[in-house]
Amino acid sequence: MNDLIRAVGDVVTSEATWISAVTFAALLGFGAVGEWVAEKSGTMNISLEGMLLAGAFAGAVGYDVTESTAAAMAFGALGGVSVAAVQAHMSHHLSADQFVVGLTLNIGVLGLSGFLDGEIEPQTARAARTALPLLSDIPFLGDALFDQPWPMYLLYPMIPLAWWLVYRTRWGLEVRAVGERPNAAHASGIAVNLRRRQSIYLAGLSAGLGGAYLTIGVIGSFDTAMVGGRGFIAIAAVIFGGWTLRGTIAGCVLFGTVLSFRLSLPLVGYELNNELLTSLPFVVTLLAMAVFAQRVRAPGALAQPFIGMPD
Amino acid sequence: MPTESAPVLRVEGLTKRFGSVVACERVDLSLHPRRIHGILGENGAGKTTLMRMLVGLHTPDAGTIEIDGQPCEISNPVDAATYGIAMVHQHLSLVEPLTVWENVALGDNHRLDPAQTRDDVVRLGERYGLPVDPNAVVADLPIGLRQRVEILKSLRRDPRVLILDEPTAMLTPDEAHELFGAIKQLVEEGDRTVALVSHRLDEVIEATNDITVLRRGVVIERTASTDATADSLALAMIGTRPVALKVRTATASTGRVVLRISDAVVAGVEGQRQLDHLNLTLNAGEIVGMAGIENNGQHELIDVLSSLRSLDGGQIRLDNNEVETGSPGAMEAAGIAVIPADRRDSGVVLEMSVAENLALSDTPIAGRLGLIDLDAMRTSAEALIDEYGIDCVGPDAPMWSLSGGNQQRVVLARELCRNPKVLIAAYPTRGLDVGAVAFLNEQLLAAAARGLAVLLVSNETDELLTLATRIVVMFNGSVIGELTGDERDRTRLGLLLGGRTS
Repeated sequence: MNDLIRAVGDVVTSEATWISAVTFAALLGFGAVGEWVAEKSGTMNISLEGMLLAGAFAGAVGYDVTESTAAAMAFGALGGVSVAAVQAHMSHHLSADQFVVGLTLNIGVLGLSGFLDGEIEPQTARAARTALPLLSDIPFLGDALFDQPWPMYLLYPMIPLAWWLVYRTRWGLEVRAVGERPNAAHASGIAVNLRRRQSIYLAGLSAGLGGAYLTIGVIGSFDTAMVGGRGFIAIAAVIFGGWTLRGTIAGCVLFGTVLSFRLSLPLVGYELNNELLTSLPFVVTLLAMAVFAQRVRAPGALAQPFIGMPD
Repeated sequence: MPTESAPVLRVEGLTKRFGSVVACERVDLSLHPRRIHGILGENGAGKTTLMRMLVGLHTPDAGTIEIDGQPCEISNPVDAATYGIAMVHQHLSLVEPLTVWENVALGDNHRLDPAQTRDDVVRLGERYGLPVDPNAVVADLPIGLRQRVEILKSLRRDPRVLILDEPTAMLTPDEAHELFGAIKQLVEEGDRTVALVSHRLDEVIEATNDITVLRRGVVIERTASTDATADSLALAMIGTRPVALKVRTATASTGRVVLRISDAVVAGVEGQRQLDHLNLTLNAGEIVGMAGIENNGQHELIDVLSSLRSLDGGQIRLDNNEVETGSPGAMEAAGIAVIPADRRDSGVVLEMSVAENLALSDTPIAGRLGLIDLDAMRTSAEALIDEYGIDCVGPDAPMWSLSGGNQQRVVLARELCRNPKVLIAAYPTRGLDVGAVAFLNEQLLAAAARGLAVLLVSNETDELLTLATRIVVMFNGSVIGELTGDERDRTRLGLLLGGRTS
């Protein structure tokens, strides 16, 4: 028992743990912020995984072509948006089933990026850290949050921006209305499917940046297994958060921390079965969902297609 | 019709079809400033479709809409708003999880201004006697207040023409009275016009200046409200259609009571009751017709008798034994068979075969260990196909390959083959052709002759008048009146449908 307490103490006080946790939380955050907007509009956007991977690959290609981190991020965003375009138009224009489209996209992106990776073999490098003055001097969390490659810092303004968009603009009001009662929104003169498509585009943009951040800001190279189901965990974070942005971010931090154990535990000198650690975040996600899923209210029309006004 | 001034809005020859169903046929209508125009009609008369065309939610197939004499094309509610037309929908078009002011702001197209919107809600609410807290969440408000929100939402755009679709359907009499006060004020201040869609005779006569009566999508009558009487409107609304088919009425029965529904209560939202102390008895060997405008409790009653819902009060006794409500299969086990209102939704499974559909509720065919005895299923299906004259290529024909009339025969065969004591037929002839209707009517009469108690819920006046021994009329969740023998005529029925008991 004492060993366990000491172990927890070691882990919590290690800066390496924090850096690792924040890195994973940031990746989930990039995915979850956009996903949150898409789900507010009524789409259960499961192609998030594919959007992250497309962003990661496009980011690698962008870096290979331009050798510029900024350009790589822009490429990544485009990669995510292009997956979003397919998802949006298939599910909210042609009325194809959004889950089938999402599932197909995830598999398709995996195959296509693997193929292109072999053909192009993009050469990438990990971006250098940029310490933000003063902020990075905060004990414990300073290095983890504010002494990182700069692409991660893109996430910080995105969070309040997404909140402002959804809760303080007409666009956001309409997004919430189409996610709750599409018929009522339609009767009020709102283009339901257009708002939903736009929300999916935002998810693609944010996940694309997240994917490129993973390639350029975290790992420094592309691999088809690099996203490895974390897109789904980001979706789980939105549900865990009860479709509030605050809760979603909390979910990202919780799941990110669990995800980081696999890297951080060995660093502080503890061993745990590797396979067990790999499955741990998914187990925690399931447990969290079991506890919280009953207590939260999803958008009223989540995952329901809008075809038209009933007669 | 009195015309003191040029019409604000004039439609000519407006026609709308949904597939082969004509919802509105060459409708002409003129709305004049400072007048309240009542649009009266039964369910399916085309009232709502007509109004939806005026706000761009349906596109007319033919006809013109003119505003101030200028022809205009309205393709969505935002267009309608720019022309000054706003509609308060029957099934409220509010987003419940949002606040009052957020709902009011929906459908504007300028920058979101929360403070201004809240002020507007308060100001308009005070001016027209419709106060409501702009920061309240709509889901927390009672129905009457939600309707206010809906009206304020329309008024905020300062419409010249305000359309109200069945505004009192969910209101208490007091709330309705307040609402009409506000509407009168609206019309008198400012050059506004109100179109009031309703099926309630009294309120239309009292609250309006002009009345247009629609039946089956066609304008039947135009009159000034001062010239109209409840009798004349009731007759116009129901019509005197020639009886298409000569059918016998079930012989008046003196059979014993089979089904007794006493004091049945189903609670609705906000303390309203969907069934309000309903009492009804069905005797063996009779057909009881149940009439009523939509949303007066018929569907809730059918749901209860299909074990889909439980009662919040009262009880149902079959052969003097109480039947548990809301317990799946209990009604069926007790001997109540139901022909459901929506054949495709709850009557049959279109993707399954005729034999499978016929076996759906017949558990013995499931055979041993939960396995289906395919031979037994096919044999019994073949017998029923013969007996009920179901036109299909065989027991294995997929259900979707059958015509509507034959699908309904399958439902009927399945329900009757279990020898029930009571048959509830909910709108059984809806959407069927003449031949299928005749067959179904014969079957209902035959069932009654065999001693079943039949409850025929229908909107078809002719069907009710010809088949039923007595007709009960539903209004606000209970039976408002009963017509037997010579009382069964159109005028009396029309008055009862409109809520008039005298």
